[in-house]
Amino acid sequence: MTTRKLRWAYMDHWRIDTPQGQLSQYTSVKRFDEFLKQISAIGFEAIETFDFHLGPLKELFGSLENARAFMQARGIDKVLSLFHAVMYDERQSAPHVRATHDHIVNYAQHIMRSSAGLGVENFIVMPAGLYYDVEPVTDDKLRACAELWNRVGKMTLEYGVRTCCHHEFFCGIRSAEQLRKFYEWTDPRYVFFYCDTAQHVIAGVDPVDLYLKLHDRCGGFHLKDTHHVDLTGDYRRKPDAEVMAPTTPRWFHEMGTPQGLVDFPALMAAMKTCGYEGWVGVEHDKADVGGGNYPESTALSAWYIQHVLTKIYA
Amino acid sequence: MAIEWGYAVNQWKAGFTSFARLEEIERALKVTAACGFSSIELNGGSGRWDPIGRPENVAINFGSPAHFRLKLKDWGIGRVASTFFDPTVMSFEELHFGLMSTRREDHARILAQARIHAEMLAELGGDCLVVRPFPSFWKEGALNGERMAAAAACWNAVGEMTASLGLKTVLHVDALSALRTVDEFEHLLELCDRDNVGLAFDTAELTIAGHDVVALYRRLHERVWHFHFKDALAVDTLGEYRLQNAERAMIAAGGEREIPRWFGEMGTGLVDFPALLAAMLELGYAGWVIVESDKGPAPIASGMMLNAWYRKHVLEAA
Repeated sequence: MTTRKLRWAYMDHWRIDTPQGQLSQYTSVKRFDEFLKQISAIGFEAIETFDFHLGPLKELFGSLENARAFMQARGIDKVLSLFHAVMYDERQSAPHVRATHDHIVNYAQHIMRSSAGLGVENFIVMPAGLYYDVEPVTDDKLRACAELWNRVGKMTLEYGVRTCCHHEFFCGIRSAEQLRKFYEWTDPRYVFFYCDTAQHVIAGVDPVDLYLKLHDRCGGFHLKDTHHVDLTGDYRRKPDAEVMAPTTPRWFHEMGTPQGLVDFPALMAAMKTCGYEGWVGVEHDKADVGGGNYPESTALSAWYIQHVLTKIYA
Repeated sequence: MAIEWGYAVNQWKAGFTSFARLEEIERALKVTAACGFSSIELNGGSGRWDPIGRPENVAINFGSPAHFRLKLKDWGIGRVASTFFDPTVMSFEELHFGLMSTRREDHARILAQARIHAEMLAELGGDCLVVRPFPSFWKEGALNGERMAAAAACWNAVGEMTASLGLKTVLHVDALSALRTVDEFEHLLELCDRDNVGLAFDTAELTIAGHDVVALYRRLHERVWHFHFKDALAVDTLGEYRLQNAERAMIAAGGEREIPRWFGEMGTGLVDFPALLAAMLELGYAGWVIVESDKGPAPIASGMMLNAWYRKHVLEAA
């Protein structure tokens, strides 16, 4: 019997069309049930979601333990990761502003205390604010960010959870040089790297090269594709480069589209070379932009995993 | 052959603008494969905007059925199990507004049209030509001996033709069919050639028409050679199959009760699939089970994924 080295998780941005318009599946047990069955049917075994879904899960199921049991009955083992939804604001929560660090650490600890029962392994954060809030990006600001996440990472490990940094293309830490310094100045015991393939490509960073440099600290992946590299400085654009950039209505696509720029086979080969074992997350946020939908994008990603990626490394 | 699973493609083509581009077909069939269904049932269509509905369109878009087969394989679809053909639907290519098996003067044209689809299906390596054996009840009322005999003669001719191509002909009786009662089912099967003509058993259509599908299958199982699995969310208790243009008045508009959906994903409605599957296994069914998302709401992938979950976690886990 072959032992699988990789298991697949689904980073949840899902929305569904209902008679009341588009809604989250966290609005009812029935909708959540159907969501779980759909992603389970095509081979996913865990979900990754946002920490602001902890409340709805408790309300729907009475407790997070009940929520996890409900998930497991449908073939989804756990909530693998919580994405920490920090509203970056220099007055109270900006990693490059040391005066806000206590607040951020306390908030992260609150999430740790509140999430027991789901099986969470990763606490995913964007490690700096929006680029236009951080710039100019100085070494001191990068050092401040590193100090913060060292503190947070040490704290989350006390709850058995790794703090993983996820670099959006509009994040204050985005270029190859900024990434190098940040990981050099963070403690590898406490701060891990989360490889979001599309975000790095948009920022002009090769995610395969980055993975090879940081594989010892890689806590996981968000595999998604993009058709665009940001060549016009959209990463500095206010108020939201990801959703509102006039140059690019849709930044993200599921794996397997012909125009995709991420070299997923090369990444899988690199993971195999480095002996990565564990969970691999798949993401396609904003799949509904331009008339698409989450179920179809998710199933197409699953097709790509089944027919392309697992033949390289499974 | 044990039970083989496939998925119908009919739900993807909601109108002539949908499922018309090759990349849409590629995406739809990749979704199908990702859901664990590596075989499909084609839908015999009409019009240049239906690339996989007719052999001449397959030739234009893929070069040949053989090349189409290779394309399907690339997408994870290893087999074409069957093709659904409804002669009562107008055809631009055959230049008619609907043919009736109950009218002997239509038989030669039905046979010719069925042959076109059957020949492509044979080239694709399929097994069953699934046909709509009768027009809707509202079009001509209850069957009598003469119309029943005429229809049987039509399908015997089609059955002989498909047998010559190595295929079976299976009669798919739907919720609006002029054929209504168990006695009529049995009479029809007596009139049809038992070597070449069998039944395609559609769980939802028969439930909507008021049948207990498990009991009906047990009674007719020897002649059931093909299945369509979809759930029924309501029964036509008011006999609205008699309404003028029941396709629109009952199925699409929901009839007097404004039923929002007649068909649902497996496990969400009235069909007892575990009991039916148990009966199929007990009686040694060997053949295709084609799952359908017929007339499901968008996104289509959602209904397909829910059916895939039910197959894996309920039917195959039992």
